[in-house]
Amino acid sequence: MASSSSSGITFKLHPLVIVNISDHYTRLKAQTLHSGESSSCAPPSNGGTAGSAPPAPPRVFGCVIGVQRGRTVEIFNSFELLFDSKTHTLDRAFLEKKQELYKKVFPTFYILGWYSTGSDVEEADMLIHRSLMDINENPIYVLLNPAIIHSQKDLPISIYETELHVIDGNPQLIFVKSSYNIETVEAERISVDHVAHLKPSDGGSAATQLAAHLTGIHSAIKMLNSRVRVLHQYLVAMQRGEIPLDNSLLRQVLSLLRRLPAIESEKFQDEFLMEFNDTLLMTYLAMFTNCTGTMNDVVEKFNIAYDRHSRRGGRTAFI
Amino acid sequence: MAAAMETVESLVAHIQALTKPEDVAQLHSLLKQSQSDEALRSQGPHLAPLLADLDPAKHSLGYLYLLDTYLSSSISREQVAAFLPSIARFLNTCSAYHIRFASDKFISVCRCFKDQVMRQQTPIQGIIPLRSAVQKLQNSSEQLTTLHSDFLLLCLLAKCYKPSLCILENDIFEAENPKDLFLFYYYGGMIYIGLKRFSKALECLHNVFTSPMANLNAIAIEAYKKYILVSLIHSGQVPPFPKYTSATAQRNLKNYAQAYLDLTTAYATGKHSEIEACIQQHIEKFQSDNNLGLVKQVLSSLSKRNIQRLTQTYLTLSLQDISNSVQLNGSKEAELHVLHMIQDGEIHATINQKDGMVIFHEDPEEYKTCQMVNQMDLSIQRLMSLSKKLTAIDEHISCDPAYLTKIGRERTRYEFDDFDSVPPKYL
Repeated sequence: MASSSSSGITFKLHPLVIVNISDHYTRLKAQTLHSGESSSCAPPSNGGTAGSAPPAPPRVFGCVIGVQRGRTVEIFNSFELLFDSKTHTLDRAFLEKKQELYKKVFPTFYILGWYSTGSDVEEADMLIHRSLMDINENPIYVLLNPAIIHSQKDLPISIYETELHVIDGNPQLIFVKSSYNIETVEAERISVDHVAHLKPSDGGSAATQLAAHLTGIHSAIKMLNSRVRVLHQYLVAMQRGEIPLDNSLLRQVLSLLRRLPAIESEKFQDEFLMEFNDTLLMTYLAMFTNCTGTMNDVVEKFNIAYDRHSRRGGRTAFI
Repeated sequence: MAAAMETVESLVAHIQALTKPEDVAQLHSLLKQSQSDEALRSQGPHLAPLLADLDPAKHSLGYLYLLDTYLSSSISREQVAAFLPSIARFLNTCSAYHIRFASDKFISVCRCFKDQVMRQQTPIQGIIPLRSAVQKLQNSSEQLTTLHSDFLLLCLLAKCYKPSLCILENDIFEAENPKDLFLFYYYGGMIYIGLKRFSKALECLHNVFTSPMANLNAIAIEAYKKYILVSLIHSGQVPPFPKYTSATAQRNLKNYAQAYLDLTTAYATGKHSEIEACIQQHIEKFQSDNNLGLVKQVLSSLSKRNIQRLTQTYLTLSLQDISNSVQLNGSKEAELHVLHMIQDGEIHATINQKDGMVIFHEDPEEYKTCQMVNQMDLSIQRLMSLSKKLTAIDEHISCDPAYLTKIGRERTRYEFDDFDSVPPKYL
């Protein structure tokens, strides 16, 4: 039902929208799970099934707003909508009230479309889509896949447009997938960084901050190392003749290598090695202290356990 | 008699036949069985020619059994002396895998070898074979065997210290017999003193008298006496007993080392005359303990100590002043002393010969070379492995019933509903 779009419109998605959708979904999921548990507290009759399967996670619905300038559609924000599951329509009055409120704060933003969660587009979505067409003649549909697939590296977000295609002689609207880019404002970058790294809220002590900082550096270096290794293997294979020579790639590798070393002078070496040795000495000192502490514990325990004339009473171990 | 000879010959044939690694267990059981019946032992003195048939490298286990029987039977000293080269050859070429099946026999063979070598007053003969024996008997370089102390004893008697270094430099983590440990570290300390590596000597001697002991033993006393002398030479003072010294040692050692403690107090005054008087007073004691040489070194180290003290006060000093404050005979002697100390790396200074001034410097090490990086890296690695071992020991002790019982008894004084981490079965 979905094929790639050819409308030539570029979409720019802000992270705020993604966070909003996922937040909405998580909240609702937590609420239904909680209410599902409290209702199934009553013992099952006849000791039937061991336990009911958790209720299927609900779909959430909402509206996305943003700006359209020419061929670029920039989606800035989103808000939630009430969905009437019996009539499969969105609550119109609510939508309009919300739209008015948002218009007051963000005069430039228009309703660009709507969002929902799920793994793929469904038939019922077309109805909702059509109902929005009177606000925006070409609304967009943002779909978030809440299933966590660890092997998948891309964002589980897809943006769909509608196109009029002639199928079996009937002109029909079908959803077509479009590509999008992520666009961030400075404030969004900071918040995403914060969420990604889960730094302690009060800034933490110096130790945790240092540990977090070093972990970051460690993962960065690990990634660099693995990439250099890939390049190295590639070059070795090329040398052995297993892979055909690619001169443009070789030129790029050469330019990369020419960039190192950045500084080469005796004074730099001296200073660098001095700092390096200082850090090593600090590590050595830390290890020493650690070892001495352990040694002290061992000696105390040994004295308590095996010394025949140990001190009775008075000295008790720390609880 | 003939029957006995036959069994022995059949045994030899078996030994020669079963040479593959899988057969060793079988061979071992066979040999153990033959050991128990009298036939082999009665043939003891006549086993010599049979041994010539066997190859020590391939038939190590069989060779070992026969050799042990031969040596423990009633043979004369000359026969043993004649056999010495073959024993040496055996020790050098035997296979470690075979030996470990019958380690007690191996140890008795080596003992016999060592006794013979000492009787002949040629300890130097025994050094290389015993060293290879030690290396073969060890399961890992961290294990102490009974042969270690024998080996070190031979090195000391022969005054050949270099071969022992490769054995001494390994850190020991496992030991079976406390006496072995004491002897090993005592001899090790003496070897390091002979090599003038006083800091390592201090470590070894320290290990002797701080080992856990229920009753005082003579080795610890002697080690403590030497320890006092060496620490006076090395750092000018004797450190107090560390926390992990056993209570027995702490209470009783000082009673036996009174002369040495007097020397310590005399040394602290820093005056030659005081120390010499003290030495004269206790000279018989020092001589009977064979420590007179060390005591004389203590005396000569006094001037070094005083010169070092001068570096902390002055930046430059004339040679005449040095000789005055350190009570030396003239500036020439002072110059000689300072030169030696600079060469040994004990102080950092330059001597200006034109006006006879000595300028003291700071440690010029600036820690900016790659060698320093390597050195630090090695030290850190060593420390990490040591730390792992320590945490393992810590856990082990925490689960030890003796420890838990003692802790549990002290815990019962708390309230009933207190968090009690010791299970009641230990109370």
